[in-house]
Amino acid sequence: MSRSLKKGPYVDEKLFRKVQRLSDQNRRIPIKTWARACTIVPEFVGHTFQVHNGRHFIDVFCTEDMVGHKLGEFSLTRLFRGHTNKKEGVKMRR
Amino acid sequence: MPRIAGIDIPEKKKIRYAMRYIYGIGPKASDDILSEAEVDGDRRAHELTDQEVSQIATIIDGAYIVEGALRRQVQQHIQRLREIRCYRGDRHRRGLPVRGQRTKCNARTRKGRKKTVAGKKGVKGH
Repeated sequence: MSRSLKKGPYVDEKLFRKVQRLSDQNRRIPIKTWARACTIVPEFVGHTFQVHNGRHFIDVFCTEDMVGHKLGEFSLTRLFRGHTNKKEGVKMRR
Repeated sequence: MPRIAGIDIPEKKKIRYAMRYIYGIGPKASDDILSEAEVDGDRRAHELTDQEVSQIATIIDGAYIVEGALRRQVQQHIQRLREIRCYRGDRHRRGLPVRGQRTKCNARTRKGRKKTVAGKKGVKGH
């Protein structure tokens, strides 16, 4: 189910303020964030975020195409390394 | 035989249903178009006058995206998801379900025919 239009998109306040501050100073430094649920708004375009995936921070460079998606969509939380090889019988780790 | 939207030739069915053979026209769009063209949806497709047919065609051309153009549009949307390397794009690339369905079992529409894996579950040897 989609979010009520009345509320507008969910944007993490703190993150948004930080982006604005950087934009005002014309600085583009990567921003570390845990706000995966935050929608990418047009103001974010051109900034790089380091979005936490539960373990690492993944670099996400926001382009115009990404507007409307959530930051978390670009920072995958699962790692699939293929199925167990029957002959070796051991799951390859890491 | 009436021809609407390019190559589509819906047949002896009621026009309301015949129009649904066009890719991009469903029950809702079909009824909307007919009421706009003031054509009775219960009449058979072949009973329509040329004028009525062309009127329907004009409405579709003007306000609806159908057939090839629609297919292309859908492909472009998918392509976009792939290019921005987001989760949904990734699922499209891997041919797995995109909307959070389980993949432990089922998901055959996306994954294709099942590939039997030796040693899994009841397959002999285990």
